[in-house]
Amino acid sequence: MGNDTDSRLSQFRKGVVELAILALLHRGEAYGGEIVERLAGHPGLAISAGTVYPLLSRLKKSGLIDSLWRESPVGPPRKYYRLSVAGDIEFTAMAKAWEGVTDAMDELLGEGALR
Amino acid sequence: MNASKPEPARGLTPESAALVETYFARVHGALLLAAADECEETVEDLRAHVYEELSTTPGTSADVTRVLAELGAPEALAAQCAESVDVPPAARERESEGSPLSGRVLGIPYELRLPTAGRVASRWWDPMDPHVIVPRVFGLGWAVNLGAVAVRLGLIKPDDEDVPFASVPTRWLAVSAVLPVLVAVVLGALVVRYQGTLPAQVAVHWGITGAPDRFDSKEAALILPVVMTLLSLVVVGMAWLRRRPPLSRVASGALAMFLCTVSVAAYGQQVATAYGAGSTEVLFSVMGAGGVLMFVVFVILARIGRAAEMRRDLEKTSKRGSVR
Repeated sequence: MGNDTDSRLSQFRKGVVELAILALLHRGEAYGGEIVERLAGHPGLAISAGTVYPLLSRLKKSGLIDSLWRESPVGPPRKYYRLSVAGDIEFTAMAKAWEGVTDAMDELLGEGALR
Repeated sequence: MNASKPEPARGLTPESAALVETYFARVHGALLLAAADECEETVEDLRAHVYEELSTTPGTSADVTRVLAELGAPEALAAQCAESVDVPPAARERESEGSPLSGRVLGIPYELRLPTAGRVASRWWDPMDPHVIVPRVFGLGWAVNLGAVAVRLGLIKPDDEDVPFASVPTRWLAVSAVLPVLVAVVLGALVVRYQGTLPAQVAVHWGITGAPDRFDSKEAALILPVVMTLLSLVVVGMAWLRRRPPLSRVASGALAMFLCTVSVAAYGQQVATAYGAGSTEVLFSVMGAGGVLMFVVFVILARIGRAAEMRRDLEKTSKRGSVR
């Protein structure tokens, strides 16, 4: 049963991580290691480098984010990611949908569901 | 497979349904030509999607033509799809839960789907996957993800290249194909130089102590190294002739170079033993060198690709800067 729970959790986290990356880049551009590090700061998301990089690659392929090598203030150049115009639109739509979901889930879970 | 087809005719005239089926038959044909059989699932999804779209329309031929026009020409669609599976996000590839042809027995992964160039390549070089030990491309057990090794050693970052080796200039990609040929030439030279001087029986297997424990005629002993070398060169040739994506070409070259080196190592050890060597030093040092060289080829090409991407972007930004 523990296994089933795990796979169910990872199922719904997958979609959330995508939104999390878009949300992070909505605040401003960031490089790969920075994205991994900042998302890892939210243990509830359970994100590792192994999930972030393939997702970045997929988001880039679908045109929601762009990447660009730029000189970094310290050390060698870095590949920075940022939202594309399409990604910005997608993020707004997704964030709105997410609000609807959380409102609904708050209601459903809030009425002493854990009791 | 036909059994799982979405209900085609509902609400559609036979002519409209035939239009859709013809379209997907052409996609299917183009996929077969591109040897991109892994796309089938995506294409099935797409077809279900088309019928879904059509169910909200009167379903006339004009509607069908309009919906299909959005997908573009069937050949273009197939090409696009083939491209996307050739460089698969390896994680998704590895998940392939549905098929009974791949999975785990007693916790050990197995893979019985025939390997495709893209799948082989993405197991050996997938810097975005942090796992060093990954399931084998074919058979039972695990393989080494050299991309993850390079990341752990700090030689590259996981996202240095958008698509592995895609930005590497062709002349550098060609190096990965020339190297195995060079190693094969070394084998040829060794055979020419030593085959005549070998005794009729040579060692073909060595025990842990380094002493030979199996012998064969020198002609028979030559077959395996030569066949392995030629086969691996054929694989590289095919990858280039069929214009596989850069990752497939580099991986086939690097693997071929390793296999050719193993051949040289085996033949070299036969010669060394015949000349009185008491250990298997030649075998292991040459094989080890081959393995290291293979890794070095991957890493150097990845860094050339990164440099090319970097140059492209930095030039762009500096130009923009000067306009301002």
